[in-house]
Amino acid sequence: MDKVYILGGAQTDFERNWKKEGKNLVALLKEVIADGLDNANISYDCIRELNNDNRIAVFVGNFIAEKYVEQGHLGAFLTEVDSAFYGVPSARYEAACASSSVAIDAAQTKIRSGDYDVAIVVGWELMKTVDAKTGGDFLGRAAYYDKESKGIELPFPKLFAKLADETIEKYQLDEKRYLNALAAISANNYSNAKRNPLAQTRKWFMSYEQASNRGTNTNMIVGGRLAVSDCSQITDGAAVVVLASEGFVKEQKIKNKPVIKGFGHRVAPLQFSKKIGESSNSEYILPWTRQAVLDAYKRSGLSVEDIDVFEAHDCFTSSEYVAISCFGLTEPGKEYEAVESGLIAFDGKRPINPGGGLIGCGHPVGATGTRMLLDCYKQLTGEAGSYQVKGANNALMLNIGGTATTNYVFIIGNE
Amino acid sequence: MNIQTVTVIGATGTMGANVAGIFASFGNAKVFCVGRDIEKVRNTIPRIIASVRADSIADNLVPADYTMLDKCVRESDLIFESTSENIQVKKEIARLVSQSINEHAITCTGTSGLSIHEISRCYPEEVRKRFFGVHMFNPPYSLSLCELISTEATSETVKNELREYLEKKLLRTVVEVKDSPAFLGNRIGFMFINEAMQYAEKYKDSGGIDYIDAILGSFSGRSMPPLLTADFVGLDVHKAIVDNIHNNTDDYANDSFTLPEFVQTLIDNGALGRKKGEGLYKTFYYENGLKRKTVLDLNSEVYRDKIKYVFPFSERMKRHISEGDYMLAFEALINNHSQEAEICLSFLLKFIIYAVYAADKIGDGIDAADDVMAAGFNWCPPLALYEALSQVADVRDLIRERTELYSVVDVDRLLEKMVPSKYDFRKFFKTGRQ
Repeated sequence: MDKVYILGGAQTDFERNWKKEGKNLVALLKEVIADGLDNANISYDCIRELNNDNRIAVFVGNFIAEKYVEQGHLGAFLTEVDSAFYGVPSARYEAACASSSVAIDAAQTKIRSGDYDVAIVVGWELMKTVDAKTGGDFLGRAAYYDKESKGIELPFPKLFAKLADETIEKYQLDEKRYLNALAAISANNYSNAKRNPLAQTRKWFMSYEQASNRGTNTNMIVGGRLAVSDCSQITDGAAVVVLASEGFVKEQKIKNKPVIKGFGHRVAPLQFSKKIGESSNSEYILPWTRQAVLDAYKRSGLSVEDIDVFEAHDCFTSSEYVAISCFGLTEPGKEYEAVESGLIAFDGKRPINPGGGLIGCGHPVGATGTRMLLDCYKQLTGEAGSYQVKGANNALMLNIGGTATTNYVFIIGNE
Repeated sequence: MNIQTVTVIGATGTMGANVAGIFASFGNAKVFCVGRDIEKVRNTIPRIIASVRADSIADNLVPADYTMLDKCVRESDLIFESTSENIQVKKEIARLVSQSINEHAITCTGTSGLSIHEISRCYPEEVRKRFFGVHMFNPPYSLSLCELISTEATSETVKNELREYLEKKLLRTVVEVKDSPAFLGNRIGFMFINEAMQYAEKYKDSGGIDYIDAILGSFSGRSMPPLLTADFVGLDVHKAIVDNIHNNTDDYANDSFTLPEFVQTLIDNGALGRKKGEGLYKTFYYENGLKRKTVLDLNSEVYRDKIKYVFPFSERMKRHISEGDYMLAFEALINNHSQEAEICLSFLLKFIIYAVYAADKIGDGIDAADDVMAAGFNWCPPLALYEALSQVADVRDLIRERTELYSVVDVDRLLEKMVPSKYDFRKFFKTGRQ
């Protein structure tokens, strides 16, 4: 496989509410693109030059701007950011919460094929334009809307509460032990976010006691066994990463940048009930998520032992829980061991979500894949500041869309 | 520093309750919440829980009254006094605390108006070594600023330990400041707010209060315009702060702290702002659910409907900000010479210079000016603002041409002290609220 390098990128401050600031998607894109290009050391003049030879393209990840901000044709919006993008190939990619992973995949493919030398991947979502109930209904379109979401208040918390129920059932878990592990996952992500200056919840209070105290006024049940503390956030935000070919890196004499070592992309049955039905013969509750991880290990020639830091898709604590065995950190059904032993804590041997993940850092759905890749990049280049995991050489990210329907895995590492 | 148990004296007050919430949550400390009336304290507990959105802290909150103070203080590692701003009251508290305080415990006062040295002297020498001013901003859950004030009697080691505790455990943005009237954040912020009040009077024929607020709206780098902020803070509190600075400091901006007469009149009439239902602004609520927002007209002295001002300069700024074109927005401000744009720009320039001047004098570094304004007021911090304006103009020239500052203060000397800002100015410039 030809090498694909990551040159850098940026994310917006996920604490920001762009509607309250009175700013639109163009403002969001202008800020994140400017910061991302600056970090990757790519100027607008450089873009113009590359574009003269048709060597650069843009890949946009976004789930559902048509609903949140009444806007489609999102690939074309780069031309509103700067005239340097006039003529630059650009299109939008969508796979619910894994939207920007599809964009990353398209970008790396176009670089490997030799079509382009530089790819700018930008993921974004503005979600605070509507109230929580309306937003929850929009997000219901990541499932089979007519059958799983329509007319149901906050369908996704309920679907991931079902995953919690099925996990307990499948592995005959002690309910209390399982729920305490979920509370610890929540507290861990919030605690990690405190070190991340761009995390949405960096100033919020959360503790294991608060997270395990479900059903109170300040931690209401949102579906089944899950409460507010088990949920990721409603977030406005964008993230950019710049990818480049080996030729470009050599030509520009760029050194010490990580490469994409492998990927996995598997799509499970769309409906949650079909997913669970199909998995009854597997030891994994989400076998296609596990398979995507295995595919990425195989393509990279690496195993779980080689991975120093993980980005899990903790849209709910129940999904991070399942991810633990999909990564291979424990046997399926024994995920609580990795939580209880501190294996996945910030100072553990295999930290998950050192920057806070979707629960702590925030979850602007279309931006999450690029945010994960960016955080992996920061860890591998030592740019993660106070949430730096020491000596990280390989990182793995798992970005899922819907109820773990689209499963995307990337392994990134230093050469 | 290991703080397991805290006593908050004056826990039914707004700040006392909020500070108790911070210790009980982030600090995970057992907090004795002491007030005069234990029933009132009990009724305050839900408010404390709500202030940090966590029922799990309930077990950490122990209601108490003054008859139990001796026991509370004896068991505490830290005593936080948040009583009324009256030195006689503080003296009495000091006497009671000193009787039972254990030797390793820290004593703090949350005063925003009195001298830390003066309060310190109410305590015996042994206690003074571990005595501090710890000035938080309201509400501390969203405003993380914490001004830390020590005295000559304070132990340096203890101060460093306390600072680390406040930063790491309580997640505060700690700024060490000198024991100067109103400390640093309020000194800078209320210069701006009080001068805005003076301008409301000066430009009362142009509209007065809402006119000035429209000129200094969120597009100028703050979440809430200055006079509306004063109404939220309370005009009595505002007066206490500016009078304190006006009477006890003497710098080039001293006249900016003179309270305008119309504000005194409002205070005399009990129109203290939002908490009393009327002040600079007044909202009328009707039975059908409708409400009418009005503002005090300074000519007729009656509340009239707010005016929707449209200024060409601010409309352009807002349009540019809404699309993320900040530099174009600043150019629109600088290149417009209307009365409104001149007022807006001169306020921003005066803010930058006074912030640097005050931080140099009172803070532990020039960048303290940024921390206090961002973490205490949610305003675009002065150093970040300076950097932003510098991208489109020579700020020295602007100050020379658009303000009188050069005749009253050594602007060049202050600008030489400028250091890079660690804040991103962009998120502070908004188009929403006027």
